[in-house]
Amino acid sequence: MTELRTSLLVIGGGPGGYVCASRAARLGVDTMLVELDRLGGTCLNVGCIPSKALIHAADLFATAQAQAGDGVCGISVSAPVLDFNATRAWMDGVTANLRGGVASLLKRSGVKTLQGRARFLDGKTVEIAADTGDTVVRADNIVIATGSRPADLPGLPTGGNILDSTAALALEDVPERLAVIGAGYIGLELGTAFAKLGARVTLIEAADGILPQYDDKLTRPVRRRLSDLGLDLKTGTRVTGWDDATGTLSLTDAEGDSTLAVDKVLVTVGRAPNTFGLGLEELQLRMDGPFIQVDDRCQSSMRGVFAIGDVTPGPMLAHRAMAQAEIVADIVAGHAAAWDKTAIPAVCFTDPEIATVGLSPPEAEAQGAVETREFSFRANGRALTLDDTEGFVRIVARASDHVVLGIQATGPGVSELVAGFTQAIEAGLRAEDIAATIHPHPTLSEAVQEAALGLASMPNHG
Amino acid sequence: MSSYDVIVIGSGPGGYVCAIRCAQLGLKTACVEGRETLGGTCLNIGCIPSKALLHSTHMLHEAEHNFATLGLMGDAPKVDWDKMKGFKDDVVAQNTKGVEFLFKKNKIDWIKGWASIPEAGKVKVGDEIHEAKNIIIASGSEAASLPGVEVDEKKVVTSTGALTLDKVPGKLVVIGAGVIGLELGSVYKRLGSEVTVVEYLDVVTPGMDGEIQRVFQRTLKKQGFEFIMGAAVQKTEVDGDNVKVTYKLKKDDSEHVLEADAVLVATGRKPYVDGLGLEALGIEMTKRGQIAVGKDWQTNVKGIYAIGDCIEGPMLAHKAEDEGMAAAECVAGKHGHVNYGVIPGVIYTAPEVANVGETEESLKAAGRAYKVGKFNFMGNGRAKAMIAAEGFVKILADKETDRILGAHIIGPNAGELIHEICVAMEFGAAAEDVALTCHAHPTLSEAVREAALDCGDGAIHA
Repeated sequence: MTELRTSLLVIGGGPGGYVCASRAARLGVDTMLVELDRLGGTCLNVGCIPSKALIHAADLFATAQAQAGDGVCGISVSAPVLDFNATRAWMDGVTANLRGGVASLLKRSGVKTLQGRARFLDGKTVEIAADTGDTVVRADNIVIATGSRPADLPGLPTGGNILDSTAALALEDVPERLAVIGAGYIGLELGTAFAKLGARVTLIEAADGILPQYDDKLTRPVRRRLSDLGLDLKTGTRVTGWDDATGTLSLTDAEGDSTLAVDKVLVTVGRAPNTFGLGLEELQLRMDGPFIQVDDRCQSSMRGVFAIGDVTPGPMLAHRAMAQAEIVADIVAGHAAAWDKTAIPAVCFTDPEIATVGLSPPEAEAQGAVETREFSFRANGRALTLDDTEGFVRIVARASDHVVLGIQATGPGVSELVAGFTQAIEAGLRAEDIAATIHPHPTLSEAVQEAALGLASMPNHG
Repeated sequence: MSSYDVIVIGSGPGGYVCAIRCAQLGLKTACVEGRETLGGTCLNIGCIPSKALLHSTHMLHEAEHNFATLGLMGDAPKVDWDKMKGFKDDVVAQNTKGVEFLFKKNKIDWIKGWASIPEAGKVKVGDEIHEAKNIIIASGSEAASLPGVEVDEKKVVTSTGALTLDKVPGKLVVIGAGVIGLELGSVYKRLGSEVTVVEYLDVVTPGMDGEIQRVFQRTLKKQGFEFIMGAAVQKTEVDGDNVKVTYKLKKDDSEHVLEADAVLVATGRKPYVDGLGLEALGIEMTKRGQIAVGKDWQTNVKGIYAIGDCIEGPMLAHKAEDEGMAAAECVAGKHGHVNYGVIPGVIYTAPEVANVGETEESLKAAGRAYKVGKFNFMGNGRAKAMIAAEGFVKILADKETDRILGAHIIGPNAGELIHEICVAMEFGAAAEDVALTCHAHPTLSEAVREAALDCGDGAIHA
C-alpha cells in the first residue's frame, strides 16, 4: 500500500472538484484530486455538455426539416437524413476534447490526479482503491465533491430498456417510441431533443404541470412548442408498472388505468447526492437530509472537511459547484472567502429556453409589495430577424424603490441574457439603472431594457 | 394647419422613439416621414434587413459546413435568392408595421412627406405648414459618396442596393472595410460570391481595438475574403454586366484594376439634412457637416433640437434611441441623460464582434494604466457544443482600481454577451464584480466571467 501526504485532497473531478483543485494548486497549495471514473464528472461526460451538443444537433435537424418544405428563409435543403452514429461521434469528440482540457488544466496547475474509489478512514485520511492497488492519502484538508446520480423511480430500476439520462445520452439509435417519466428540465431537454430527432415521445408527469418550480406563464411557450412537436404530455399521471417483454408501461391518472407501448423509457425524476460508500458514516458528519450540511465557507461539521456541489443542499447546478469550489480553494490557500451570492442563475435548455435568477413573482410577493413588468420578444427586432419571437423577459422589482429582485425570461437565446440579469441583482440595481443602460440594437437584450423601462417609466416598443 | 407641442422630423429609431416618449410624457406629438413606411434607415434598409439576410445565410453556412459533422446528411442546400429577399421584406414589414401600431397606440400623427423648417416653431410638409412649440430633427444619415464612383444601385450599389441585388454576383468588390461592408460582404460570401474588400486604411473596422481588428481580419481571410489594404479607389466604370474598379496602392502609388459583377460602396455615412433649410435658419453645424447641439440636444436656435446620425457621435440606432428619449425628456422639462462612455457596437458577422468603451489604443493614448483580462472560447463548453469555439473575450480594466474601462468580444453571440458588460460599466463595476457574479453553466457568458477573472488572479479554464 502506498502512502501519500498532501495539503489538499479533492474527491471528485466534476466542475466543482476540478475547479477547486486547479485553483488551490495555482494559489500555491499542494493538491491532489481523486476521480472514480472520468475527469469532468457528470456535467462534462454525461450531463450538461453532451446534452447541449445533442440539443444543438437536434435543433439544427429540426430547423433544416422545417426549411426543407416551405422554408421561409430562402434556403431549400432536401429533408436531411440523420446519421445518429455521426452525431454521437461528434458528441463524444466534444466531451473528449473538453475532458482533455480538464486533464491538461489540472496538470498545468500542478495537481496530482489519482484514479480510484475514495473512502474516508478518518477526517484526515482517505483510502483510494484502484485496480493497481490501494493508496492511502493523508491530507490537511479534504473536499467532498462527489456530485450526484440520477434518482431511481421505485419499482422501475434502470437497465435494459429503462434508461437514466446517462444511458439516454449513450443510445446507439434514436428510439422510435420513447416515454420520458418526469417533466423536469432534464426530461424536457432530452425529450425535446429526441422528438426533434424523430422519436415519438410521451412525457409522463405525476404533478399537474411541467417544470413545477416555474409559473404557468413562464412555461407556456415551452408547452406550446412541445405540442407543436407532437410530444404527448400526460400530466397528473403515475407509472404503475412496466412489462419488458411487451414494452408496455402501465399508467394511472384521474380517468383510470391505461397502457402505453414504447421502445425505451427514460426516467428523469431528479438526482440524488453521492454520499454513500465514502465512509461518511464513520465521520458522523452532520447531514441535512441526504445532503452534507455546510456553513457559508462550505465547511462540514468536521474541521478541515469541506463539501461542495451536488452533495450540499441547494440547486444541483455546475456553476453553483464551481462558485463554491473557488471559495474553498481560497480558504485553503489562506485567503478570506465566504459564500455571499445573492443570485444563482438557472437555465433550462428547453425550446424555447427558460432562464431565471433571483426571486420568482410569488417569492417576491411574500416579502412585500412588488411591481412586475414583461416585455415580449414579439416587439423585438432581432427576434423578428431570427424568425423566433416566442417568449418574454419579466422583471420583478420591489414596489417602493424598484430594486430588482428577480428576472425570468423565456425565448430565443435567453440563456445568454441571464448573465446580465444576475449582474443586476448582485449589484443591487434598480430597474431605472438597467433602463438607463444603452443596450445594442438590434439585439435580444433590448427586451431586458424595455422591461426595465416598463418599470422605470414606460417601454418604447410596448 | 395643425398645432403640436412637438414635431419630430424623421421616423428612424431616434425619431420614432423620441416621438413615442414625447407622447408618453403627455405632449401632443407628430412625426414627419416621407418614406412609404416608418422606421427609417435602420428598419427599412439598414440593421433589420441586413440581419435577416445574415441570419438566413448563417443557416446556409451551418448547413454547408457543420451538418455532416453533426450527423445531418443530405444533398447540398440550395438558395432561392428571391425567397430569401422575400423573408427579409417580411421581417421589415413586420417591424415597420409595429412602429405604425405604436404611433396609433400613442396617438402620434404621422405627417407624410418631407419636411422643411421655414422658421422656428414651424414645419412645412408639402404645401402645409404645421406649428410646433418644439422641433426635433432626427433626419438620420445617408451613404457617403466617393469621387469617381457613381452609384446606380444596380451594379454599383450602396448598402441599400446591396439588399436587393437581382442575383448573387459572381464577384463582388466591397469598397470600405467597415461594419456595413463586412456584414454585407459576409452575406454574399456565404451565398457563394468571391468577395474582395478594398480599404483605404491599413486596418479593418477603424476605431476598434487593434487586436480585435487583426484577429477579425484574419478570421475573415480564412473564410475566403480577399483584402486589398491601403488602397484608394480612383473610379468605377460600368461596362455592360461588368464593373471595373480602379484603385491606387498608397505605398507605391501603383494603379490596379479589379473586375467585378457588382460593387458595394460602403465608405461610411454622412448626416442627411438636405432640404430642411438649416442654413437659412442659421443653425450651427460642426466642421463635419453635423448639426451642433448643446447638452440638452438643443441647437443654437431655441426650440429646435437634433438627435441621432445627424449630430456628432457613433451612427448607431441605439445611440439615437437613447438621445431620442433624453431629448424628449428635456423638451418635457425633465432631465434627459445619455452616457456616451457606454455605447456598445455590434458586427453581425460570424463570429460576431462586439465592443463597448475604451480600446487598448485609446487607453495608451490617454496615458491610462490598464490591465487586460482575456479568455478564449476554446475553453468554453457551450461554444464547443455549438461548433463555434472561435474567438475570445477581452476586458480592459483600470490597473489600480480594477474598474472596467472597455470590453471587446469576437466570438459566438458576442452581440448578446456584451450587454452584461454594458450594465456593469453603467454602474462602475470592477472586473471583480463580474468575476464574483455566478454565471450559468453551460453558457457562452462564462467566457465573459473568465476574462474578468483573468483581470485578477487568473481565469479558471485557461
